[in-house]
Amino acid sequence: MMIAAYGLSKFFPVRGAFRATTSLKAVDDVGLKIQNEQVVGLVGESGSGKSTVGRCLIRLLNPTDGEVLFDVPDSELAEYEQARAAGATERVDAIAARFSLLRRSTSELRAVRRLVNIVFQDPYSSLNPRMKLSTIIGEPMISTRFCTRAEADIRARELLGEVGLPEFFEDRYPHELSGGQRQRVAIARAISTNPKLLILDEPTSALDVSVQAQILNLLRGLREKYGMSMLLITHNIAVVAYLAEYVYVMYAGKIMEWGAKGKVLRDPQHPYTKALMSSVPVIGETRTRSILRGDPPNLISPPLACRFHPRCPVAFEVCGWSPEEVAEDLEFLVGGKYYGTFGDGVRLTVEGDRTIIIQGTTEVQKIQELVDLEKEDVRSLKSIQAIDVADGATSVRLHEAIEPEMYPSPDGREVKCLLFRLDASAPAAMAPRSAG
Amino acid sequence: MSDALAIRDLHVQFHTRRGVYKALNGVDLGLRRGEVLGIAGESGCGKTTMGLAVMSLLPRNASIPRGQVIFDNKDLVNLPREYAERVGDRFKPKEHERILRRVGKALARIRGRRISMVFQEPMTSLNPVLSIGFQVAETVYVHDPALLARRVLARSKTTPQIMREVLTLLGATQGGEAALRKFAADHDLVGLEEQVLFVWRREDVHISRKEKAIRSLAGQSMKPWERKIIETVAKSGSIPPQFARVPVLSKLVRRILLKEGSRKARELLTSLGIHHAERVVKMFPHELSGGMRQRVVIAIALANNPEIVIMDEPTSAVDVTVQAQILELVKQIRTSVSASFIVISHDLAVLAEVSDRIAIMYAGRIVEVAPTAEILHHPLHPYTQMLISAIPTLEGKSVEGIKGEVPDMRAPPGGCAFHPRCPFAFEKCNSVVPIDFRQGDDQLVACWLYEGK
Repeated sequence: MMIAAYGLSKFFPVRGAFRATTSLKAVDDVGLKIQNEQVVGLVGESGSGKSTVGRCLIRLLNPTDGEVLFDVPDSELAEYEQARAAGATERVDAIAARFSLLRRSTSELRAVRRLVNIVFQDPYSSLNPRMKLSTIIGEPMISTRFCTRAEADIRARELLGEVGLPEFFEDRYPHELSGGQRQRVAIARAISTNPKLLILDEPTSALDVSVQAQILNLLRGLREKYGMSMLLITHNIAVVAYLAEYVYVMYAGKIMEWGAKGKVLRDPQHPYTKALMSSVPVIGETRTRSILRGDPPNLISPPLACRFHPRCPVAFEVCGWSPEEVAEDLEFLVGGKYYGTFGDGVRLTVEGDRTIIIQGTTEVQKIQELVDLEKEDVRSLKSIQAIDVADGATSVRLHEAIEPEMYPSPDGREVKCLLFRLDASAPAAMAPRSAG
Repeated sequence: MSDALAIRDLHVQFHTRRGVYKALNGVDLGLRRGEVLGIAGESGCGKTTMGLAVMSLLPRNASIPRGQVIFDNKDLVNLPREYAERVGDRFKPKEHERILRRVGKALARIRGRRISMVFQEPMTSLNPVLSIGFQVAETVYVHDPALLARRVLARSKTTPQIMREVLTLLGATQGGEAALRKFAADHDLVGLEEQVLFVWRREDVHISRKEKAIRSLAGQSMKPWERKIIETVAKSGSIPPQFARVPVLSKLVRRILLKEGSRKARELLTSLGIHHAERVVKMFPHELSGGMRQRVVIAIALANNPEIVIMDEPTSAVDVTVQAQILELVKQIRTSVSASFIVISHDLAVLAEVSDRIAIMYAGRIVEVAPTAEILHHPLHPYTQMLISAIPTLEGKSVEGIKGEVPDMRAPPGGCAFHPRCPFAFEKCNSVVPIDFRQGDDQLVACWLYEGK
């Protein structure tokens, strides 16, 4: 196993003007594995935390929590996972001490830096404008003591040829190059120390399609030649389809689904992945889309339980509806579409974390009718468990939320959606695939 | 029917310290009425420059040596060009202030009012210190104050009695727009009908609530002298100079009309699918997400019912799920608004979704124009073919880059600008600029391979 991350989290502190310091949960409990010589894609919208995961994996950022094991033999990894599941702290520590990236000191990391490298998104800002290309490409070789300065110069020239640039470019400066050429230089720099793992953080998003195709083919060629593992972080699903073997889908700091590329892209299971795939415009195809409402959530106070539930077209009782969300939707209906039924004077207040009090009406029957009629469209109403009358007001009680985990699916993928929870306590209507 | 907009042999150059940059080299393009025309090409091929040239928003170092942009039988680039000829090489703002003002005034009658543009970055095209409602209202206030004045007047003139008649009419005609328009014209209440129809057409509100909202439009009181001023504005179509010169009066007019504009903004934003528009109009751009900001910018572009809307990369700053929302929105507004659209994008797949025809640009020229299905399934120009084969797909089919780089437009290659990268190039391509050859029904391709076919 090239690299394996468990429970990786990164919280960034956010200081408000008057509020106490809170944290932005950019990455929350993410697990990810890359086998030797494997290309893994990590897709998600902007702000979903995919770049942060990439940086935490190679300790360009220090994760808040979690463990990253690097270059660990498969047998030891299996043992580690067993020990972790069983809670055998000593055994876990023993293995982690040998392979963990997070427990290495800065000087030890320097040796690791030779084995991992990263290509950044923007080729315009990731190359130092005051350095010649030979210096830029040689820098990682010298700083990791991969070779001497003289050797680095010779190798820089070879690498230029390797990425399809003429050798006389060694004396040029970045501003003389086009975007595609710069990205080639960034790739040459990243492969200069023969790394085993290459992190590609949006390698083609700043480039035109014709140049993007060149870079994709270059990356594919390099991988075949050197057999390195790659983590391809991108929002462009077609790029992942072109290069990767496995795909992880991220949303709001969590992994939503992962599995073999063909399965995840062609037959997505998680409602978010489905919506994501149907949003990708494809030439010469008009499809029915599932358009997601709204926008990705604020990660300072993310939605309860499943972070996707407010936008999910198939969310149900236990997905994590908060009384505030339900009250807002209910208020909208009572004051708008069902105004004729209830009229003015209906007030909704939230009490505690599971109850809503409706003042001004005690007509449980009518509220129940409204809920039954609307709950297929307004998914939050599904979470209403019971409606009672108490003290001249109506109280609406909600279901308890369940935090979703990664549920394995028979075809080898894992999906973080309660629809795939296969235990007996799940309501009958929740069998996988019934969501359609 | 004649074209809504015709671009004829348009050349645009930028004079920079490092030489003359020939951004457009003879663009010929017609925008048909009611269509969505997509413009695709790599970065630096002149897509945005063309949009800016149509809007006459080119920077000062640009010149238009040749060409016309014909809109409503007028040449739009003639005005700025005339100005450029008179001032010569150097820009002297003080000496030429009068000419500049005249040109600006003439353009303001068209720009933003009859032709409007959605700019690339919604973050930078909205003013961060002004509220959303104000920014939408301002567009209407500047270009069409009479519309706002009529709306205020209509509301102040209506009585509950008239509103009851309106409601019966709506009930009888099932929200018939023509009937309502006639009713408003008969009762001297022009400007009321769009407000009534906005409420009536909402689908998320119960009918009794709508009726209540429509009834509440009636009888908003207004001081007699205020009414007199607003009536003058409504009649003259613009803010008359006698008001504009007096600070107290101009402020009053501005206050009343901008307030009304904010009301209109609410209607516009709701019709573009923003929930709780009454809250959004009070917000500032930084409080909105990328998708919402893009909707606001589209609302501003549509505010004056323009005849042509130019959208410059409407979806390249947003995520794919939000992009899908915006594309659905564009499809929806093209059916509800009687405008022609030019959509500029580097992403052919995006254009394939929304446009009727697609034009491919390369090095400042249109190399191919055809209906969307034709261009995607039977591309003729070698550049179009290579561009389409460079797009990665979900199936992971192999992609082919185009070798070489986009040419340096300070010294573009002679003949066909694509010949250095073209695998089919022959001698003629190096020396003679290709003309457009018509292929099939409606496909134009500028490539010598199709000569005599």
